[in-house]
Amino acid sequence: MKRSYRGVILLCVVLFLNIIFTQKAIHQYYFENYTATVIYAVLNLVLFPIALFIYHKEKNV
Amino acid sequence: MDKNNKIPFDEDNYTHNINKSNERKLDRRGFMKTMVGAAGLFAVSTLPWGSIAATELMGLREKKYPKKEIIDVKKLNIGDAFEFAYPTDHDSALLVRLGENEYKAYQNACTHLRCPVFWEQSKSELVCPCHHGFFDVKTGSPTAGPPRRPLPEITIQVEAGKIVATGVKRYET
Repeated sequence: MKRSYRGVILLCVVLFLNIIFTQKAIHQYYFENYTATVIYAVLNLVLFPIALFIYHKEKNV
Repeated sequence: MDKNNKIPFDEDNYTHNINKSNERKLDRRGFMKTMVGAAGLFAVSTLPWGSIAATELMGLREKKYPKKEIIDVKKLNIGDAFEFAYPTDHDSALLVRLGENEYKAYQNACTHLRCPVFWEQSKSELVCPCHHGFFDVKTGSPTAGPPRRPLPEITIQVEAGKIVATGVKRYET
């Protein structure tokens, strides 16, 4: 049976963004740009439901 | 005598401790599950940074720093450095006397991985020995090595023959 690997790729992209946002949040925290830190932390939080959504959509494809 | 010098039985693949079939197999769905879990982990791990940043935004922006005497002017020769703690006892800091009336002080945790930074008098630079990070003593900005951010500068006053720390500057970015 031929599998669709779209979900795998999309989740890899999500994880890549996660790494970037985490790195950015911590760096901006040390630069004392607190607004940017909050924005990146929220972006990181938002990525989790997106990942769940992708998983539910793609698990049987 | 032979007992402890032998492998218990012939083995060449070290898989005897795998009990279930397909125990080592990671399929597509399992991989996706791992990725979702990792996304959750990342989300949780940025929460403390976000919440600390949020509390900083809610009114603690202008921090009050206590005045603290560091050392007598007479006890510190030109070109010498003195280590002290400021603003709290757990924040190590470094004071350098550059001239007759020229002082510079920085929190001396390297901005790479927080190793202590030392004053190299012969070369007139601040050195982090862990990964050879170098900082400009006049501005605190990194000149070489892994650190990317400047050292936080401590404002200094001279009062009645004593050097007094009055605050920590925000990063000027």
